[in-house]
Amino acid sequence: MIVAALLLATQVAAQDSRLERLDPDTRSAVSAVVDSARSAGLPAEALIQRALEGATKGAPGARIVAAVRRLTVDLGTARTALGTNASGPELEAGVAALRAGATPQVLTQLRTVRRPPLTMALSVVADLVASGVPADSAAAAVLALAPKARDADLVEFRRAVERDIALGAPPGAATSVRVNAGALDNAYGVGSGNTPRPPSRP
Amino acid sequence: MFDREDDVVERVIQQLRRPVAIDPGLDARVMKEIANVPSAKRRAWPLWSLLAAAAVVGALLITRPWTRDAQRGPDTFQFVFVAPQAASVSLVGDFNDWDPKRAPMQTAQGVWATVVNLAPGRYRYAFLVNGVEWRADPGAPSVKDDEFGTPSSVVTVGGRGS
Repeated sequence: MIVAALLLATQVAAQDSRLERLDPDTRSAVSAVVDSARSAGLPAEALIQRALEGATKGAPGARIVAAVRRLTVDLGTARTALGTNASGPELEAGVAALRAGATPQVLTQLRTVRRPPLTMALSVVADLVASGVPADSAAAAVLALAPKARDADLVEFRRAVERDIALGAPPGAATSVRVNAGALDNAYGVGSGNTPRPPSRP
Repeated sequence: MFDREDDVVERVIQQLRRPVAIDPGLDARVMKEIANVPSAKRRAWPLWSLLAAAAVVGALLITRPWTRDAQRGPDTFQFVFVAPQAASVSLVGDFNDWDPKRAPMQTAQGVWATVVNLAPGRYRYAFLVNGVEWRADPGAPSVKDDEFGTPSSVVTVGGRGS
């Protein structure tokens, strides 16, 4: 039955019409990687989207295949760190955090201190690093907030740090100051009711 | 004076203590009236209350509001990009298979906007200006690991009180 399911999954991937946007060689290589990942229980959709991104951006086939392979490896690393129960979005966010510089141990620790989903917490780590915050500072900040903060609190925290950085604050200092402020006034606690709600905007 | 009042009170008490004669057929008539009430009427309240309770329980089991944060459906997001000189702008990303034709943005005096429904997750996206120029969203975190040499942004839709 498992073999039949794997065969069916393979056929589904092979028949994914979206990959027809790739040239035949690239499509074949990407399909093989996607099939392998699907068999391993990794989220295939993320790999397909990465291939489509490359195709739309006009990247060479070899680069698309390399990107998809690298993402497969990183998804596997994220799953090892987050556990087999981690969802597809969690794994994708985990990859972003890993690529930002967070260690697999940070992902595992986050899993232990925060109930799922961890997508937002992991994304905030990656986004803070993208804003210039050192990876260890970003990871430490999110780990400190993770046990009590809601997703909305984490988004607001990230925005506050980004605002401080835009105003000239050193990224690491901005992060630690905001974490300490949150700890002092309990702004990042569940049900505190003091945290501003973010608008519907990325 | 007090003795007279005590006598009155005593007489009242004795009057109240006298046994009251009740028609011996009263009990039988009351029970007969109860027996004549239609049975459906007597059961209506408990039956409907049971049905109402079942409906409430069923609705709770179906909607499962206690898991809504973790398993909720798509949220609506508006994406905005300012490009007064652009002839066309498309929003492309993980949520529309990176297909420019699927999310053309509408303009109002150079402010381009579109609305997309997003389920919880992390999405990469970018704006495609005039069909050739890739631009990141200046109002969103940028993708640091872009492997295709063009800027992209990221939006994360959370599942816990976001």
